[in-house]
Order: sequence, then C-alpha cells, then structure tokens
Amino acid sequence: MSSGNGSLNPSTIDRIVEERLSDRLPKNIVEEIKQALKRFQLTEESLEKIINEVEREAQANMVEPGEPVGVVAAQSIGEPSTQMTLRTFHYAGVRELNVTLGLPRLIELVDAKKVPSTPLTYVYLKPEYSKDREMAVKIAQRIELTKVVNVTLRIDIDFLSNAMVLTLDADMLKDKGVDVDDVIKALQKSIKKAKITQSSENPYQIVIEFEEAIDPTQVEKIREKILQTRIKGVKGINKVIIQRRGDEYVLVCEGSNLVELLQFEEIDHRRIRTNNIKEIEAVLGIEAARAALIEEILNVLEEQGLDVDIRHVMLVADMMTRTGTVKAIGRHGVVGMKSSPLARAAFEVTVKNLVDAAVRGEVDELLGVAENVIVGSYIPVGTAKTRVVYNPYMKE
Amino acid sequence: MPSRKKITGDLSQKILEHELVPKHEVLSIEEGMRILKEYGVKPEQLPWLRASDPVAKAIGAKPGDIVRIIRKSPTGGEIVVYRYVVPG
Amino acid sequence: MSEEKVIAAVKFGILSPDEIRKMSVVQVTSPETYYEDGTPKAFSVMDPRLGAIEPGQVCPVCGNTMKACPGHFGHIELALPVINVLFVKHIYDLLKATCPRCGRLKIPPEVFEKYRRYLLKLRERHPYLAKLFAENIKRQAMKASVCPYCGAKQPKIRLEKPITFYEEDPETRDKIRLNPREIRRRLEMIPNEDLELLGYDPKDARPEWMVLTVLPVPPTSIRPSILIETGIRSEDDLTHKLVDIVRTNERLREHLASGAPEIIIDDLWELLQYHVTTYLDNEVPGLPPAKHRSGRPLKTLAQRLRGKEGRFRGNLSGKRVDFSARTVISPDPYLSINEVGVPVEIAKVLTVPEKVTEWNIEELRKYVLNGPYKWPGANYIVTPDGRRIDLRYVRDRKSIAESLAPGYIVERHIKDGDIVLFNRQPSLHRMSMMGHVVKVLPGRTFRLHLAVCPPYNADFDGDEMNLHVPQTEDARAEARILLKVQNHILTPRYGGVIIGAIQDYVSGAYILTIKSTLLEKEEVVELLAAAGIVKELPEPAILSPKKYWTGKQVVSLFLPENFNYHGKSNISSGNLRCDDINCFWDSYIVVKQGKLLMGVLDKKPIGAEQQDSLLYWLCKEYGVETCATFMDRVFRLFIRTLEIKGFTLRLDDVEVDEETRKQIIDILNKAFEKVKDLVDRYVRRELEVVPGRSLEESLEIKILEVLAEARDRAGELVVSKLSPINFAFAMARTGARGNVLNLTQMMATLGQMTVRGERIWRGYMGRYLPHFKRNDLGAIARGFVVNSFCSGLSVTEMFMHAAGGREGLVDTAVRTSQSGYMQRRLINALLDLYVEYDYTVRDSTGSIIQFAYGEDKADPSKAPHGKLLNVERVIERVLGGAM
Repeated sequence: MSSGNGSLNPSTIDRIVEERLSDRLPKNIVEEIKQALKRFQLTEESLEKIINEVEREAQANMVEPGEPVGVVAAQSIGEPSTQMTLRTFHYAGVRELNVTLGLPRLIELVDAKKVPSTPLTYVYLKPEYSKDREMAVKIAQRIELTKVVNVTLRIDIDFLSNAMVLTLDADMLKDKGVDVDDVIKALQKSIKKAKITQSSENPYQIVIEFEEAIDPTQVEKIREKILQTRIKGVKGINKVIIQRRGDEYVLVCEGSNLVELLQFEEIDHRRIRTNNIKEIEAVLGIEAARAALIEEILNVLEEQGLDVDIRHVMLVADMMTRTGTVKAIGRHGVVGMKSSPLARAAFEVTVKNLVDAAVRGEVDELLGVAENVIVGSYIPVGTAKTRVVYNPYMKE
Repeated sequence: MPSRKKITGDLSQKILEHELVPKHEVLSIEEGMRILKEYGVKPEQLPWLRASDPVAKAIGAKPGDIVRIIRKSPTGGEIVVYRYVVPG
Repeated sequence: MSEEKVIAAVKFGILSPDEIRKMSVVQVTSPETYYEDGTPKAFSVMDPRLGAIEPGQVCPVCGNTMKACPGHFGHIELALPVINVLFVKHIYDLLKATCPRCGRLKIPPEVFEKYRRYLLKLRERHPYLAKLFAENIKRQAMKASVCPYCGAKQPKIRLEKPITFYEEDPETRDKIRLNPREIRRRLEMIPNEDLELLGYDPKDARPEWMVLTVLPVPPTSIRPSILIETGIRSEDDLTHKLVDIVRTNERLREHLASGAPEIIIDDLWELLQYHVTTYLDNEVPGLPPAKHRSGRPLKTLAQRLRGKEGRFRGNLSGKRVDFSARTVISPDPYLSINEVGVPVEIAKVLTVPEKVTEWNIEELRKYVLNGPYKWPGANYIVTPDGRRIDLRYVRDRKSIAESLAPGYIVERHIKDGDIVLFNRQPSLHRMSMMGHVVKVLPGRTFRLHLAVCPPYNADFDGDEMNLHVPQTEDARAEARILLKVQNHILTPRYGGVIIGAIQDYVSGAYILTIKSTLLEKEEVVELLAAAGIVKELPEPAILSPKKYWTGKQVVSLFLPENFNYHGKSNISSGNLRCDDINCFWDSYIVVKQGKLLMGVLDKKPIGAEQQDSLLYWLCKEYGVETCATFMDRVFRLFIRTLEIKGFTLRLDDVEVDEETRKQIIDILNKAFEKVKDLVDRYVRRELEVVPGRSLEESLEIKILEVLAEARDRAGELVVSKLSPINFAFAMARTGARGNVLNLTQMMATLGQMTVRGERIWRGYMGRYLPHFKRNDLGAIARGFVVNSFCSGLSVTEMFMHAAGGREGLVDTAVRTSQSGYMQRRLINALLDLYVEYDYTVRDSTGSIIQFAYGEDKADPSKAPHGKLLNVERVIERVLGGAM
C-alpha cells in the first residue's frame, strides 16, 4: 500500500492474482497477467475488475463440454492438406540434403512409418565444443559412416599372385579424415585368412594377399565384402553436413542412430534430434515421441505456410500415442483398435471385420459415433451428448 | 534400422535429461487411487505407458503403476498428465 | 404408429443350421422360378412366402401388403456340406491348432488353466490385448507336432487357395484331400473350453457352422426383379446365383439317391461348392468370378457390403435424404451473409411440416388454398389420425382449408425466414455445411453472399450446391442457434475470420478509405442508402469551399461506439511500411472509440482468412450478430463505392514503356551471360561443386538461382515504375487479387518454367523441342520464357509454359485423392473424441485421451491467436479511458 491514492504495490498484485487465478488458468497466462499488470498503478477496485474480466473472458474462451474435438482436429488438419505440394524440396539452407516435405511427409507421420523416407539427425555439440569449427569437423568425420568404397579409386585382382590391390583416393582420404593405416586396420578385422600390407611402390595402394587361392566364382562376393568394410563412423549416418546456426555449429546427418550417437561425449545429449519418430519412441520413450510428433507435424504445416492450431495437432499425437506405442492413423493402428466391429467395418475391409466379429461373437455396444450413424440414432457428441433428467413427481 | 541395443545405466541417465523427455515419476498407491477417483476412471482408461518404454525402465516403473508426467506445454505452460503402466 | 424401440447393442455370431431352419418359411427345392403364366412357383427361390413384392399382394406368412411385409427367409437343405468361403481363414487356423484325432487344442494341459485365467482377466480389462494373447495361443498350438492329449502325430494341413484343404500324412507324406464333410467332423470335435481360449465364442459361433449344411435363402425383397418395358423379367444377381445353387443341389441329391459313381458326385459337389462360394463372395482370389450372360461379373453378397458404394459406406455411414435440392449457384451481394436465395420452383417442392395452432391457422389456410402449384402454398396435409392428404389430387381445396383445425399438420412450402442447411462438396470441414435463412427469389439458381465463398471454397464457374430442409423442431432450433453462417465466421482451424472481404470488397474498401477520397453529401447519402441505414451525418471533414466527407468517416458510422483497434494494413510493406501510429503512408490503422482515425482498410484488417484483424476483434467483442450486420452493410458500401468510382483492369495497366522494356531485356541478357558462363565452366569441369551434389546438379542449382534472381529483378523494376492508381497494382497491394509475381508475369517476363523442380529437358534426345540444338544447356532451350503475358509468348515458349502448367494439373489431381484418403482416416480415427464436463478429452469408451483439452482448455475458434485470452486487450478493455 505505497502510493497515497490507494494503489497497490506490485507484490500484492502478484499475490492476489496468484490466489485468485492460479488454480483456474494455465500457468503461462497467470504469469503474463502478472507481467502486464506491473505497468499500471492499480487500485484494489480496478484490480478486482480486471480479475473478474479475465475470469469471464477465460470462461468464454474455453471449449464447451460435448464439443466433438476429434472431428474438428481431423478436419483442421485434413482440409489444408489439399493445398499442400506433393514434391520434395531441398530444404532452404541445407541444399545438400533432400528432405521430404508437404503431403507425403504428413502422410508418413500419421502412418507412423518405421523409417522416414529421408531420415535426418540434428546433432548439437556440448557448449565447450560447439563454437569451434575445427572441432565440429573432427566430430563430423568421426560419426560419418565411411566404408572402404568411399575412399577407393579402383580395385584390381591379381590372380597370379593371388591378391587384390586397392588403390585409394588421396583426396577422399583427406576429406573423410582417415589414413591408409586406418583402412588397413579395418580390413584386417573383416578379412580373415589374408595378409594385408601397404604397397611398397605406391603409398596409396593396399595389397591383400590371400592364403587360399581365389575362387573366381567368389570374386564378386569378396570384392563386395572389402568395399563394404566399415572404416569408421556410426552405422546409419551416411552423410554429415556442418551448418552454422546462430553462434554454434550443428551437424546435420543423413540417417539416424540415436543409441550410438548418444554415446559420444562431445555431443549434447539433451538436444540431439531426429525426424525418425519410431526411433525416438524406442530410445527416448513415448512421451518424447509424442513431443517429436507434434513438432514434426507442425513443421510440415508451417513450412507449407498453412496455419493450424497446435491443439489439433496435439490431439492427433495424443491419440496416436495413447497405447504407449506410436500407432498409425488407419486400419492397422488407431481405427483397428476400436472395440466396435461396426465402426471398423464401416472404415475399411468390411467383410473381414464382420466375419471376425461373428467368429468371436463380439457385441457392439453402440457407444461410438460411426455405430450410431449406422443404426440411425443420435450420435453421442455435442448436443446429443446431454440428457435432461426430469422427474415429474418430484416436489419442489 | 536403428540398432536396438540394450539401453544401459549411463545411457538411461542421458535419456532422462533429453529435452524431449518430460519428468516422469511413479505415484504411490494412495496417490494413484486419488487420481483414478478424481477422473472417475478405471486404470486402463488412462493413457498407457509400456513397461518396456525406456523411460519407464529408467525410473523403474512396473506394470500396474501409475506414472505422473509433468510436461512443458506450449499452450498451458506446464501440465500434469498420467499414464498407466501396462505390460509389453 | 408402433412403439419406438432403441437398439441397445448388436451381437455378432454365426447362424446355426437349426436357427436357419427355424427362421425359414419354406424349403426351396425347385430350380424353376416361374410358371408359364408368369406367376412365381412355390418352393422356388421366388416362392410367394418369401415376402410380398407385388403391389397389392398380401403376404401369405405375415398378412401384410408389400409396404409392411419385411420379407421372410427360406432355406436350402444342401445335399452335402460345403465350406463357407468367408470363414476359410478361421477353418484353416482351427484345423491347424487342434488335433485331428481327439479334437483338443494342442496346448499342454498344465498351462491350459493358467492361460485361461489370464485371458479372462485380460478380456475384462484390456480387450485389445486379450485379442493379441488369443492370437498368440493359437500360434503356439499350431506349432505343436504331437498332440499333448492323445499323443497323435500331427499331420501338416495345407490350404490350397481358395477353398481346398489337403492333409499331409506325417509318415507317408501322402497328400490327402479333406472334404468338407471331414472338415466339419473335425470342427465338431473341438470342445467349447478350447475354443474360448482361442477367443472364439462357442455359444454363438460353433466352428462346425462355418461349414454349411443348410443355406438360408434371403427374402425376395432384398433381390427384387426388374420388369423391362418389353415385359421381360430381369432377375437380380442373387436370384440367379440361388437358382444355380438349387439346381446343382437337386442334381446332386438325385445322384446321391441313385448311387451314382463317386466321380460324378465329386464333380457335382465341387460345382455346388463353387456356386455357394461365388454366391457369398464373387471376388475370391484364385476363383473365376461367376458371370452374367453378358459377361459382367455378378454382384453377390460380399460385393453388396464392400467398398465405397457398398452397404456400409454407401448406405449406412452415409444415407440418401429427402427434402433436399441441388442447383447451380450464383452471387447476390444484396443478400445477408446469413441468407440463401432459393428459386421459387424449388421452394414449391421443399416443404416444412407445420402444426396447425390457433395462431397460425389463418395463414396455413391460405397456403392450403394456394395449393401445391402456387407459392407460397402447401403440398400435404396430415390429419390428427395420421392420414396424409396429397393436395395435388384434392379437387376442392377450399373445403379442405376450411376443415383445418388445431392438431393438423400442414406441409407448407418453404418461405422467407425458414432455416435450411446449405452445403458444397467436398465437405472438408464443418463450414462446408452451414445454416442459411431462406429468401425465395425468381430465377433458377441458388444465390449466396460473396463473403461466404471462402468457407465453401465456392466460385461461380458452374459450381452446384445442395440444400437441405430440417424437418423437426429440434433440428431447426439447432440449425438456428449453432449452424447459421454468422456462428462460423471464426474458424476452429486457426481462430481467425474465415468469412470476410474478398476481391472487389477489398478493392472497394481501399478506394473508399484512402485519403484522396472525398465525398459530397449526395455521394455519402447514396452510399448509406446502399448500406441500408438511416443515420445522422457527422460533421464534414472539409467545410469549405464545399462540404466533403472522407471515406473513413463513412466507415466509422458502422463501427460500434466504444470499439478500439490498431494494426497494420496489407499495403504496409516495402516503402509504404509502417510499424506504429506515426505513419505517413496511411498504412497503419487506428480505430478509437468507434472512429476510423487513420489507415486504409484492405485485406489485413477486414479480409477473409486473416488473423487478429479488425473484423476479428469486432466479431469477438461485439458478438457475431453485430459482426454479420456490419459485414452485410459495409460490404454493400464498398461495392457501391466501386460502382461510383469505377474499377477495372485494362490492358494498359500491364503494358510497359519502351525504356523499361529495354531495361528488362538488359537484365535478362545479363542473366543469360551468367548462365552461359556457368555452362562454359561446367563444360571445362571448372565449376565448383555444391557439397554433396554432382557437377550436373550443381550447374542446374546455380542456373536456377541466377534466372530466378533475374526474374525477381525484372519484377521489381516494373513494379517500381507502376503508378499507385494502376488498378492491377492496387489489387495486388491491397491483397484483393494477385501478387507481385502475377504482375511480373503479366508485365515483365514469365521466367523459368519447371517440371519436377527441374528445368525442362525431357523430350527429344538432348533437347526438349526440335527447335533447339542438341545439348544446348542455355536458358531459352531449357524453358526460360522471356516474354510476358502482355507481350505474348513465342511458339517454343508456349510449349514450355504448357509443360509446366500440365504438371500443376496432374499434381492437383493426385493430391486431392491422397489428402482425401488421409482425411478420411484421420476422421475415422478421431471421430469419437469429445470434451467431458471436467474438460478431459475422452473416447466413446470413456478412456482419457487428454487430461485437459489442448492442455489449456481453450477452444481454438474462440481463443485469440492460439492463446486462451489476450491479456493486453482485456486489461485495456477494463481500464479503457484511463489509459
């Protein structure tokens, strides 16, 4: 009670707002009100008025019980999807990588595909490394999957000396950050019964002398095995691009492998992201998958310039993750889980659903919307959800 | 396919720290009963959490438990939800 | 009227032979359907006992006429059992999971009880998991090679698609065919407890019933025969199939009785199996479909249910309705947004049942007198005892009008003020079907206000729309309260106005509210008359030499007195950009106390599909009623402004002068030089590569960049030279129609044409068209269109442009089907969800999906800008003048 004209001091305002509103309004709104009121000199009376108005407004803006929010959400996402593009664009900024966007990506997300058509991982580095480009390059080289084929110029077979000769590409070796020794070591691990040495004539040549005679029919197989030998890197991370974001360097990786990447000390395990929802589910759990799903769907819509309220997306994500695993929107997922045989029959594969229901002797309780449409009664949402209970014999 | 390696102790700690993972905690039986009563539901009518979920394993949730999850919400600031741990 | 019954639940099961016989009224044995005189033959599939189908015929079973007789089932006693194809999968599983000798499920007795108890527990709490568990048990049982009960070695069972079962003897490896009789015998042996463990219901679905011994014959009413003009009867596909079955069955029975050789019996048995199979499902893979004489495959039972036009999706999930109309739509700006213009001819057909009361009896008498052919009239009268009088056949309408009394129902024509539902397909969101108030008009089209085009996504290039008349008082009340157009001004998709000014409305608003518009008294009065209000004029903005009013003053007359708003307008960009109240360009809107003080009105503040606009806050704070009237009036004002001032797009709006033309050519030539340079460097392999791309890809990326930049530069150039009163430019700037890219393409250059995001190259070897040299990588040869729409395209350019245009068309066609299917799936997945009184989101079984809808309980259509409430505005509203 500081100033003379009866205006309240800020801490009192905070207290009163907190008391009156905190259990009825979401936290961030309460905070915003507190912040906003700091600018004014308020009397008790005007504060009271504001709080009442806030309460009234909040009540007016809330959903009405019975509202069929599911259908509204489905329409709000489905309707703008007719305006989306079908093509995949190269992403602004990362033109090195193709990213699936638009309708195909949206369908992929609601289908809960095991692996997205363009898996991507964003690797952030711990603060002590993230500002240093050198460091970023080093880490990128370590996680990028490098196979012998990536650094090999040519491979020759010498049947006379029973050997294969690999000629390596010096530029690629430098680019990938490996040397000839690394290649030899990797080959020694994967190729048994052979002597692997650096050629004396050419430092970029590796000679693989086999103990047994090379079977000409097996040449292709052996060759393939040599070429596919992993020198270094993380399985599944095929290409790494270093990007500057704000004041830090971020590694954008084609492919994903969260489990392996989380092991790296330099990588910020709190912020690593992938667009592979199923992998997030397996590694970080269902709640993380839900959050990622919301984020991905919103990204697709936003990138297409379509405005959809986040609440609709949240509802879809919550429905998909309700059973503890990410379920697709479709007959193998959410719809297939419905208990009503009529609802399932009305969606897809009509006859099979009816036959299975018959065999199991299922009973349709007619609780859902689709079933009640079928039997021709009121659907249990909205205005038909409410009942009037009236007892004509009850006295005053 | 992502390798389904065993998620070990060190890794499970990292998982819990990830920004996408909200805080999970196992409720006591009394608290669980209170929640069920508050919403008037049977436990299986809550959203589920698989016992095999990495986070469930990390916090040691067993089938039959109710887990409280405190999410950061873009609309509501912070919100508390519950999941019922089911086998699988 | 009979007592109203409510369906409580639907139980599924398999009909047992006994049940089939019990509900049968006749055993069908005769393959001939009609006597020579055309009367249906008894004991045939057209037996009159199967139901009355001719008008006037009385059903011998229930005594009803065609209208009331529901039809009755008959049955066929099959001479030998046949497999029901629909259950083949289940028969196969059961045969594999059980022992052929003792009939027990091959689950070891020691775990049997444990599984059973677990399954029962699961079924109660997690029905879905129970299904999976039963599935698992089945799989385990199928694996066992020795029966744990009788110790018999298990033969391998094979299903040869579609319906033949073979058994492989475990010792001799002989393939033995299992006939349906044997299969039925085995299925009979399976004990009930074992079936329960597999999730089967032995009470209502004994497995042996999956092998048919008795076939139900459906009533004739579901397979009506059609009489063609020539008097020839054409039977339904099902009838044809049934006749086939009866004929084969009788032949088989005769051969069996006469002890015919086994080969003949087997052949006939096989034939019977074929007929029964195709009768049930004519699209079984691996079986030739039964065909009509003309070669058309028959539509049998499964086909009737399946697919989009099938019983489920076509007749049960979506039903055909009466009291509906469809015709072409056309615009009428003089209607309210809540209204729809209905042609008189349609109004004479659509009716509303109105109960006669003391208060409306005189009016209804008038309608009855007018009869069915004169609007406003009436088509039917329903007397209190339920008799329907068709006024078309009433001679003396006068006496019948006199006889009207309270309690009668008159089905009168729709008239002005009735509520109807109006819809345009595809119905992608709830705003695709809204309630409109009828306005009966001459003409043959539905008329609607232009502002409701965006929610319907309608235009007037021949679109048709549907209209439905709600028939009950409840339905009409709901339509009036919830469905009227004004209740859908705000869309739940993003919480903005979806109904607002479009096209000419925006242009008109702009023209009216720019500073240079000064109106004389006569003009102001004319505008107000167009808007339909009578109001005292404010003090004129200019008093001398003559009294002039500004457009802003006129608009202010329609705003509520205490309305406040400030925000940018659409023209606020580029050099006209204004971010606050200090605005020279009049591109920042300020409304104080209901007065438009500054800023022009254009798409941002009053347009459709805008967020946080002037119109939005008007609707939100003063209610939809006010908002709807505001739109009705002000939009007419804008249109009248254009009518007074004149507004068009003419050719010289998009023409450029010689000098500009030269500059454009200059810009393009420079770009072509750069392209040439890039190509040269590419040929010499000196081009630096974009990381992760090939040399070719790098070249294409760079060329596209150069050319896109050139087009943008050319566009900027022409736009910078446009006069502000250029109509095309005015439309683009205010957001009425078109954008800078359209202007560029009309005036400067079309730019690069692309197919699949690449320059056009597919066609002839090494070139798109034969007009170019092979392997010409230059801009022109790969689809850069130098000309503008104004200057006209060259021949090659025209082809390039068409290639790009075609891709767009294909894209749209593919996209609509894909997104349509996605939306159908989304809706089917989410349609049961609703908000409970505790603000949790639940599904139909009461399971919780969300603990608080949207995590803040806010309704997206009411919450401003995605937040529960706009704190600033609330405070402003309370403190009001104090600020």
